[in-house]
Amino acid sequence: MNIDLKELSQLAPIFRELFKGYHISQRDTELYAQLTNSQDQYRTLFAALGFELVCDRRGFYYFVPEQMGAQVNKTAQRLALFTFILVEHLADQGRDPLAVLDGGSLGRDELPPLLDKYRDLFLQAEVTSQEELEEKVMRRLTQLGFASEDNGAYRFLPPMHRFLDVCLAVQQDRDLAATLHSDLPLPSPELVAEEDDEEIVSLSPAEPEEDEEAALARAIAEERALQEQDA
Amino acid sequence: MIDPKRVLRALAEHWTLLEPLCERFDQGTLSLVELRQQLAAQLPAAPPADLTALLDQWIRLDILVPVAKSPNRFELNAQIHDFLAYLRREHRLGLCLEIEAYLRHLERLAGHILDAFEIRDGNDLARQLRLLDMRVRDVLKKLANDEQALIAVAERAKTSDRQIPLRQRYAEVLATWDEYVEPMIQLVAADGAFEQGVRRVEQVLLKLLGDQQRLGQLVDDDLLLRTHARILEMQTTAQLTLRRARELLLPLREEARRHNAVTRGAALALAAIRRKGLDAVPQAALPLFTRPQSTFLGTAGQVESYVYALARFEPRPAHFPKASGSRKSQTPRPPRTAREMLERCEQALPLPDLMQWLLDQEPDGATDELLYWFSRLSRDARFQRERLERREYLTRTHQLSLSSYALIRAADQPAEPTAPASAG
Repeated sequence: MNIDLKELSQLAPIFRELFKGYHISQRDTELYAQLTNSQDQYRTLFAALGFELVCDRRGFYYFVPEQMGAQVNKTAQRLALFTFILVEHLADQGRDPLAVLDGGSLGRDELPPLLDKYRDLFLQAEVTSQEELEEKVMRRLTQLGFASEDNGAYRFLPPMHRFLDVCLAVQQDRDLAATLHSDLPLPSPELVAEEDDEEIVSLSPAEPEEDEEAALARAIAEERALQEQDA
Repeated sequence: MIDPKRVLRALAEHWTLLEPLCERFDQGTLSLVELRQQLAAQLPAAPPADLTALLDQWIRLDILVPVAKSPNRFELNAQIHDFLAYLRREHRLGLCLEIEAYLRHLERLAGHILDAFEIRDGNDLARQLRLLDMRVRDVLKKLANDEQALIAVAERAKTSDRQIPLRQRYAEVLATWDEYVEPMIQLVAADGAFEQGVRRVEQVLLKLLGDQQRLGQLVDDDLLLRTHARILEMQTTAQLTLRRARELLLPLREEARRHNAVTRGAALALAAIRRKGLDAVPQAALPLFTRPQSTFLGTAGQVESYVYALARFEPRPAHFPKASGSRKSQTPRPPRTAREMLERCEQALPLPDLMQWLLDQEPDGATDELLYWFSRLSRDARFQRERLERREYLTRTHQLSLSSYALIRAADQPAEPTAPASAG
């Protein structure tokens, strides 16, 4: 594919935002429009540079890390937890969670009761106060393009679908549901006792194994004996 | 017998009063007092006697009928209600079963048509064909009505209050899907009752056309052809209505289902996190891109040259030894033990120069190793040592300057080191 860099006039700001982990959606009018118009070119260019650009048909673009590191992404866990909590909270109130999380908004004044109600869960994400909730969750949501803040309300943007997808994935996780629904531990299979205890392959060493300390003590004793003998 | 003209005239004259009442009657019956209140609200200047006269007229014309077993409550005559609903473009979704019943009737009519033709009864044949045609029109009318009703269902769901739970908002959609669309899918399927019925009637009509050509006409061919065309139109309309219903309601139904799945998923995740912590939900750790950490600091020029070098990087070809070729280097020798070196040293006594002896013994030995042995052997109790002049020695890798020792057997040592063991 031939890529004409002149056509990609928003390349620098687009890369800068994506590289920060930001999700570009329709709210970022110019960047979004150009990504939509030259989607294939951008994807090819970024792929050549080693970045995977995801174009979600629900109206947003983002980079995914090449491979998940061994270290679990704390931010992602925290934001996912917030989504779970918000969905349940809204459903409990008889409100439509999808209407809020898919383009709706949440007043800043709704955060304190949310924190009070789910304090035990927020604690697991190291969120203990209103300030921490705003700093570690709401600010990250806005920094990464999941939400925007204006006039004391957070408006959720299309990239929130990533977290709603997590809810759907959990719902389809039969293993998780099974572990929750069975309080008793799984019965461990009982092996039929062998009639004779003769082993097919003997794994025990010919001599009793000595641990590291014993081996060291033995070596010192030998050396000393040798010296005594020499003396 | 009520004169239709009088009914129609009354409906036309009192339309402004009747139309709002229709909505009230959609929701249930009304008592005489409630009816008077409704009318009084619309005709505030009218004396009560006029309201009584008006209600009396409607009751006499059968526009209003008393509810069975509740003579003080009234409802709109069902026929009038349907007619007004038609005029107001209101459509109530019918039942799929109604269409199925119509189709069964069509099949029975096809049987009667065949019978009439066999006994060459032209009048009965024409009558049955007319009945068939009217029944097909009924089905078409019903399908058109149902389609409008489905559009209304979807619109109501979409425009209702966004703040009420989705389950309530889409309750009508879900019920319509289960009670109308799903049975319609079964009905209009290739092996469903609709297709089978249509095919049977079509076969009868085509057979009739062929037989008329062979045996002579009992009815006008045009009538047969017209009926056949209408049957095909009915079939197409049914399929289009079903497609439209799916297009309208399926996204809404999926949205409702998705809503349920999201809520359930969130509840499941929270339950798991409460019991086992955040890591219990691996899906929560979704891959979020984070800016890679820089591991070096450099000036712009350094970065540029680094990138330049990277761009022109060519890996050095890796040479692997041939499996068949012999290894040049010998297998590494195990390190000497203190006992071994002491024995060798004892056997070589007297040593005029310990360092020189070590270099002769270990010409390839590492310098640090040689120095270790020099230190170890020169200080050993079984040897008597005598310092030599400082001089230079060459190991494989270094030049050393040191004062070596000449070693002889210590005075209290036996002549043969192994002798005590053998003598013992």
